[in-house]
Amino acid sequence: MFKKILIANRGEIACRVIKTARKMGIKTVAVYSEADKDALHVDLADEAVCIGPAASKESYLVMDKIIAACKQTGAQAVHPGYGFLSENATFSRRLEEEGIKFIGPKHYSVAKMGDKIESKKLAIEAKVNTIPGYNDAIAGPDEAVKIAQGIGYPVMIKASAGGGGKGLRVAYNDAEAHEGFSSCVNEARNSFGDDRVFIEKYVLEPRHIEIQVLGDSHGNYVYLNERDCSIQRRHQKVIEEAPSPFVDPEMRKAMGEQAVALARAVNYESAGTVEFVVSGATKEFYFLEMNTRLQVEHPVTELITGLDLVEQMIRVAYGEKLPLSQADVRIDGWAMECRINAEDPFRGFLPSTGRLVKFQPPADATDASGTTRVDTGVYDGGEISMFYDSMIAKLIVHGRDRASAIARMRDALNAFVIRGISSNIPFQAALMQHPVFHSGIFDTGFIPKHYPTGFDASMVPHDDPALLVSVAAYVYRAYTDRGASVSGQLPGHERLVGDQWCVVRLNPAGNEQHRVVARPIAGGYHVEYNGQSFEILSDWSLGQSLFNGTCNGEPFTMQVERHRTKYSLFHWGNRADFMVMSARAAELLALMPDKPAPDLSKFLLSPMPGLLREVAVQVGQEVKAGEKLAVIEAMKMENILKADQDCKVKKISAAAGESLTVDQIIIEFE
Amino acid sequence: MHDIIRQLEVKREAARLGGGQKRIDSQHAKGKLTARERIELLLDPETFEEWDLFKEHRCVDFGMDKAEKTPGDGVVVGYGTINGRLVFVFSQDFTVFGGSLSETHAEKICKVMDHAMKVGAPVIGLNDSGGARIQEGVASLGGYADVFQRNVMASGVVPQISMIMGPCAGGAVYSPSMTDFIFMVKDSSYMFVTGPEVVKTVTHEDVTAEELGGAVTHTSKSGVADLAFENDVEALSMLRRFMNFLPANNREKPPVTPTNDPADRMDYSLDTLVPDNANKPYDMKELIVKIADDSDFFELQPDYAKNIIIGFARVDGHPVGIVANQPLVLAGCLDIKSSIKAARFVRFCDAFNIPVVTFVDVPGFMPGTSQEYGGIIKHGAKLLYAYAECTVPKVTVITRKAYGGAYDVMSSKHLRGDVNLAWPSAEIAVMGPKGAVEIIFREEKNNPEKLAEREAEYKAKFANPFVAGARGFIDDVIMPHATRKRIARSLAMLRDKKLDNPWRKHGNIPL
Repeated sequence: MFKKILIANRGEIACRVIKTARKMGIKTVAVYSEADKDALHVDLADEAVCIGPAASKESYLVMDKIIAACKQTGAQAVHPGYGFLSENATFSRRLEEEGIKFIGPKHYSVAKMGDKIESKKLAIEAKVNTIPGYNDAIAGPDEAVKIAQGIGYPVMIKASAGGGGKGLRVAYNDAEAHEGFSSCVNEARNSFGDDRVFIEKYVLEPRHIEIQVLGDSHGNYVYLNERDCSIQRRHQKVIEEAPSPFVDPEMRKAMGEQAVALARAVNYESAGTVEFVVSGATKEFYFLEMNTRLQVEHPVTELITGLDLVEQMIRVAYGEKLPLSQADVRIDGWAMECRINAEDPFRGFLPSTGRLVKFQPPADATDASGTTRVDTGVYDGGEISMFYDSMIAKLIVHGRDRASAIARMRDALNAFVIRGISSNIPFQAALMQHPVFHSGIFDTGFIPKHYPTGFDASMVPHDDPALLVSVAAYVYRAYTDRGASVSGQLPGHERLVGDQWCVVRLNPAGNEQHRVVARPIAGGYHVEYNGQSFEILSDWSLGQSLFNGTCNGEPFTMQVERHRTKYSLFHWGNRADFMVMSARAAELLALMPDKPAPDLSKFLLSPMPGLLREVAVQVGQEVKAGEKLAVIEAMKMENILKADQDCKVKKISAAAGESLTVDQIIIEFE
Repeated sequence: MHDIIRQLEVKREAARLGGGQKRIDSQHAKGKLTARERIELLLDPETFEEWDLFKEHRCVDFGMDKAEKTPGDGVVVGYGTINGRLVFVFSQDFTVFGGSLSETHAEKICKVMDHAMKVGAPVIGLNDSGGARIQEGVASLGGYADVFQRNVMASGVVPQISMIMGPCAGGAVYSPSMTDFIFMVKDSSYMFVTGPEVVKTVTHEDVTAEELGGAVTHTSKSGVADLAFENDVEALSMLRRFMNFLPANNREKPPVTPTNDPADRMDYSLDTLVPDNANKPYDMKELIVKIADDSDFFELQPDYAKNIIIGFARVDGHPVGIVANQPLVLAGCLDIKSSIKAARFVRFCDAFNIPVVTFVDVPGFMPGTSQEYGGIIKHGAKLLYAYAECTVPKVTVITRKAYGGAYDVMSSKHLRGDVNLAWPSAEIAVMGPKGAVEIIFREEKNNPEKLAEREAEYKAKFANPFVAGARGFIDDVIMPHATRKRIARSLAMLRDKKLDNPWRKHGNIPL
């Protein structure tokens, strides 16, 4: 076996590969950019080599630097992770020339499959189902429009070298095809250094289902079942699961065999993924592309098959034979993965960067009811920089069936504490309780269909408000009892904390008052509310974010924050704000005036930290609703800020090139 | 006898209604509670002992002899407890003659203040007054001065807290201004020496009462007030919480609140708090919250002179005053406002036996004409003076920069700092490496290569805690994650610290 390997990646996947290498007794070398010098993968690896400045173009994408790092450290092989150089045939060929093993497919397989146009031709030859489209290089936007018209709208414009959702546009008309082509070419050039794009028919109501394949250098191939990645936002996967709630054994076999046929056609040695678009109505499936690398969502396959895919990749690269045949491949239970992204779901999912003031993921655990696993590359007190992808962790669970996997995921999301930056956890929690998601009948349009105007707090109703009221009473009572334990009280006149309280739930539409009786019991508080008893036991202590407890014996996990006299509870994606006080105080609180929040519609505020690329308007200019006002760049993505309403520009408060903080004023309107 | 008891009931009932239901409704309509409702929320239930309910004004001029005499005369006074601890309270009743201060109204306030001094308990004033009882003329003015004199006598003896919950204008502002803390309620309270009308006449400025002296103005622009609250209910609830940090008087130690937050709790996320780049800011409040018991930090003046942070927290159950430079704002440098803000706070802590924990990341004093013309020399000296005269336990942690005179000021060893600790990222020097090199090696100023070399040399020599450590100016270099533990142990060691300044009538702090 290899003695030492280098991981040409960063973040969670670098950490993930290091973990397996360590298990196999292989030494690891991390590479890192200057922005990553305190990153977790650097800390976990046995050795680390700095390969340049923050921008990936100058570090993680520079082959020479990685090859030099291999030579410097004596690494015998390179695991590329995903993204960066993972699907770069030149890179794998150059490694081969240097006598360094590439832990992945051979460069000829990468070259053939890495190019979407060539791969489609190959798929057709291998008798794999494909969708109609235009496979040759396109000269310019005008030609793109003509081709699109030929195929018929809607069409998809995609970077040949692209992966995931990067460099992908959907056009429903000529104008969109024109604009989409140009921006796609730009993004492809910037992200992949390859500006070729292709156009094809956009399949409506599609499911995204992919087959994990594994091949070795001895001509053996297996497919490790499917993953359903239909829950996507802007073509980025959000939730992945295995198996798919849609695929039956017959279909699995058909898809699996086509995937293997394709892999065989390119002598594929390693783990790879054949992506299909599947029609929810007809069960027809079409080949989309083959990802010649380890996928982000590989853990769900690992959990249902019991295989360590990274280990298999390393063994195959070393020349070992696959340890199993198709008949040995099993499907054990149900696995699900939520991508935890540094983004603000309540602000249009804009990226959120900064310091992780708290990062306390649920603990990795395997017990009778399943497994919880967290793959991450960040840590408590770490920094989320604007240079790289917004995914900071993957939360993966395994249960005996889909329902138990969902239940486990919901609990794990409750226990995931992130402070300092925003995360999509509330959104993931909302998805996890969506009846349509539960039904298993959905397509890749699920999120735009069910969240057409974005996501807001009202979209996560809580089905057990009594629990929230009881926990609010608990938390308040705990703080009050603590305050009443202060020294220096008048002897014989010490403070006696009463049991009768009024829990005021603060809602935008108006406050609700709930009378409760909350009295201390051993290990917690007993709350009477609405004629019901809630015995809440917890080892929570004041100031902690995480509240683990049981209510009448049922375990639950919430998060609690106190701000002045307000207590916020976070549970199942829902946020509920409370004040707790005596009934008399609540009566007096009702006399207090509602104070409307200040009118911010007169300002364009920066929705995220980032770089102000462009201010598209001038002082005095009349702007129509929907017109572009400014462009902010963060996490490699350009975000266009448009006018919400017709307005006139009064003042421009920030200049292009300036670094913006959240809520910084960019433009003032009249 | 029965008749007397009936009279008592009638009088009590009348007093409870203050200026009558109509005025109570109008008070509520303004989003304000009545004097008695406020006391109800402030004190532990059923603990208020009211005095001078029967007191009436003695004015006979301008028809006041014919006006109905309301028992209590516009202020409710007495004592009660907050979490079982004794406090004296006066609460002005805007429904009675607009809460205006008469001679008798003042006498009532003076009475509770005198008692508070006698027994050593805090005085809380809930201010809601239209000003002097003009009909009484100089008698009312005399009343104010009687209160002022008591404010000054009580200063540093018992804590005095003012909660401004309505108007407080003209001479009336000087009583709260001499108390230890001023809190205000947004949109319903204001404080100014002269109101908008007079301002308009004299300076032709058009300004609303809220802009001139509202809670937001005084907590962000003038620094007169310490905190602004959304409404009366929040304000009084927070005031209860605040009182748990303060001792009853200057002879007592601050009260202890038991906690189950371990004193030796480590927080490894602090190891990455200070960025490598010395010019990159970070939020010092994160450190404060992470070392405090139960993450509970009661910040004061959060919106004023944000380059310095002040407030109360507890370590091991014992209250401490926190002073910290805030690198997020103006790089944490000291200027006029921040020096005054912190100086007054340090003196409060010193007067009331509250240990001071100082977190230092200060690049120096703010340069510029506005600072010099504004008298930064004298104002900066206030903070220096306050730390130097302070005899309570002083624990200092240098997290990053401690440059120049500002290093001396920020509770340094030389100003009798008891325990002075430094993080490995600490740089204790006369100034930053670049500036220092440009002065020392002035003759090499045209040789950037050489200068860079010198800078690196300077950095290697001084940009670390060891030079100060070699002289004993810092007692130890600690890991950030152990900060809470090291502070807790230092404070425990210092709990019985005794240190006296020489006798004098009073020092002469550069005011």
